[in-house]
Amino acid sequence: MMDVERSRYSVHPDSSGSGLRHSRRETALLIATTGNGYPKKSPSMPNFHEKPFKNPNVSEPVLAANGFPVGREYVAENFGVQSLTDGDASLSVIEMYGDEVESRRPELEEGRDEDAESDEVDLHTSAIPPSSTIVPNSEYFDRYGFKKQSNVITEQDYDEWWKDYSQYSVRRKHKWKILMEKSGLPMDNDSPNRFPSRSEKLKRYVRKGIPAEWRGNAWWYFARGQEKLNKNKGIYDKLLSKMDELLKAKTRLLPDLDIIERDLNRTFPDNIHFQKETFQTDDPPMIKSLRRVLVAFSLYNPKIGYCQSMNFLAGLLLLFMDEERAFWMLVIITSRYLPGVHNVNLEGVNVDQGVLMLCIKEYLPEIWHHIMPPNPSKNYSLNNGTSLLSSNDFLYKLPPITLCTASWFMSCFVGVLPIEGTLRIWDCLFYEESHFLFKISLAIFKLCEPELIKLKPPKNGIGKNNILGQRGSQISNGENEMEVFQIVQAFPKQLINPNELFDRVIFKRRFSLNKLDQDEVDRCRKYVSSQRLKYKHYSEIMGTGHRNNSNNNNNNSNGIGIVSSSSKPTDGDKMAGDIINDALSSEVYGFKKGLGGVHWNNSIKAKVRQMRKKKG
Amino acid sequence: MLQFKLVLLGDSSVGKSSIVHRFVKDSFDEFRESTIGAAFLSQTIKIEDKGSQQEVVIKFEIWDTAGQERYKSLAPMYYRNANAALVVYDVTQQDSLAKAQGWVNELKTKVGEDDLVICLVGNKLDLCSGEEENSSKPKAVESSEAEGYASEQGLLFHEVSAKTGEGVRQVFQSIGEKLYESKKHELAASKGRHGVGETGNVQLQRPSTNDATSCCS
Repeated sequence: MMDVERSRYSVHPDSSGSGLRHSRRETALLIATTGNGYPKKSPSMPNFHEKPFKNPNVSEPVLAANGFPVGREYVAENFGVQSLTDGDASLSVIEMYGDEVESRRPELEEGRDEDAESDEVDLHTSAIPPSSTIVPNSEYFDRYGFKKQSNVITEQDYDEWWKDYSQYSVRRKHKWKILMEKSGLPMDNDSPNRFPSRSEKLKRYVRKGIPAEWRGNAWWYFARGQEKLNKNKGIYDKLLSKMDELLKAKTRLLPDLDIIERDLNRTFPDNIHFQKETFQTDDPPMIKSLRRVLVAFSLYNPKIGYCQSMNFLAGLLLLFMDEERAFWMLVIITSRYLPGVHNVNLEGVNVDQGVLMLCIKEYLPEIWHHIMPPNPSKNYSLNNGTSLLSSNDFLYKLPPITLCTASWFMSCFVGVLPIEGTLRIWDCLFYEESHFLFKISLAIFKLCEPELIKLKPPKNGIGKNNILGQRGSQISNGENEMEVFQIVQAFPKQLINPNELFDRVIFKRRFSLNKLDQDEVDRCRKYVSSQRLKYKHYSEIMGTGHRNNSNNNNNNSNGIGIVSSSSKPTDGDKMAGDIINDALSSEVYGFKKGLGGVHWNNSIKAKVRQMRKKKG
Repeated sequence: MLQFKLVLLGDSSVGKSSIVHRFVKDSFDEFRESTIGAAFLSQTIKIEDKGSQQEVVIKFEIWDTAGQERYKSLAPMYYRNANAALVVYDVTQQDSLAKAQGWVNELKTKVGEDDLVICLVGNKLDLCSGEEENSSKPKAVESSEAEGYASEQGLLFHEVSAKTGEGVRQVFQSIGEKLYESKKHELAASKGRHGVGETGNVQLQRPSTNDATSCCS
């Protein structure tokens, strides 16, 4: 408790202005009295959500005909004023608190490479103070309302990074504006709802970050949300009415409600918009919206219902767009980008983890050795000469690192990286589709590489098996597994600057991982899911499946054990395993290879695709 | 130093992560983000060898897991090679005890009793302490009920509050002691035979570089 207060004071020793100081004291007082160790809203924080939420059923469309949230202009002009119209349900947080770090720089960029990030100098002359004047509490919270400080990042770290990054954001926004104008999309307000047509240039712009205030609209646009909504007009309202009915009837027909309730207050507890004031008895509007979106979704798609991690997806969406849009984006994410990932059996997660493992093996072979423990118990491969390298049994027995990376996919990197990094990934996800999640995962591994290769190579435990029993080998592998897991788990959390990932990996053509594209991921997903199905099927036929997950202490079954691995495998089991693995290892996935020495750019790719079309 | 793998299981929001954080960081947050997938933390304790009266350092490698039912399919990855399992329920939620019992059954059938020390832990004791009239909830699971079940099944049993810290250390202390007791003969035997300081999953003298990075969340 005391530590928290102390660090708060010490970080901003010379803040000027009595008003600020006053608010800080009050905040500290609040912190001292709330007793749970984290800061509550400062009284000086404008609270737009305090007003009762007037349209809980969103009975009227929350968006005006032009697609702008109702009341947006009103807020923009009366920032900080308490009264809001009914339209407040439709406001995204960034619109209300948005960092109005507008670039007032004259257009001096026209003739230059608009992408060059070498323009630091001239920017300092037009430096606009970051959002501090807009968000009174920006001392402790960022522009999205998240607490700056985390377990691994101090406020000081944050402020230092933000000093540069806010300038970067201003520069990028300026470039976006120029691009918009050039594309015939004049900006008469700060809330564009149409964006330029797809191009390499736009992709680069998206990768460098969509302006924060535009994100909600841009995500909606790139993910083709309006299309989805138009096909399903009125559905969200109907779902909400159904929810109300079921709640009133007090039947137990909302099976997911209980588990959703448990997660509501565990969604971004460090974000001011999700926190309850100590004097409030009612849930904050953000929590109410979150409840409605999640319950509506569970009614809309009972196959998924509610899966932990969707609270974070919906929560983040709600910070950038209104409820109905957030709902449809959640539908889009869980079906288009992460198919099957949140289903009851989580098979989609396993498939994607299989795909990721294949990608690591292909693109980051140096790292692969550290992730994949050597498997001395591969009797089958020794017997029949199948090379260990061609064996793909890690697709059915996923290595332990996937316990960590599974959450990257389930929550689309929410909570995995500091928030700005997550948002940059979301920008790309909606523009480039799901392969970007794999690409960024590879990029994280790539950045971890120096730490990973420092680890001593995993021991091969074959010899030990004979002395200490088979467990002996497990020990050395287990040891390595832990260390790898720790690195991969901890590393992204301290990546405060998202440009680390982008500039050092994603924008570097020389890394082969950047060859990964959507076609490849689609193909790979199909392959992995069919292999897993076959494996399951064969295992059932061979009668080994029933011992699924049984005592698997003794060999290196690494994962969601579809494979049988009893402590004393019988000869029959071994043979069955041999046959299955033999059958499947002949079907090895082949990555498309770029042509050696030829710059395999997109235009060539497009040509090839055209040629193929003509042929077929 | 002895190293043990410990896994936390139990229904969603019974306080698994809170127990770990109290133990590892001695901190508590009223609202902690739901755990997605798994989190890995570690912490060491000291116990006393009853024979030699010497101090023994035990390091727990703790796997904290997501509680929702559907994550169960991932569970075997967590409890693979585990030396100990903390099966947690919420003393104010009768349902959560049933879920905990389900976990105990699964562990017993899938891992085997000999290999695993299981500890049943009732959390959120503070909610029914009666000190804060307003927030006080009725205790839905009587200690005697859970304790009876635990002794029937041969489990360790504790009631704790991650919020106040009450009982948390003792949980790990008792697990450490029990693991040490059960492994020490094996350990001595293995040392004598091979001069190698490891047996089963007991691990000795890992490189100390490990320790600096050992605790993360």
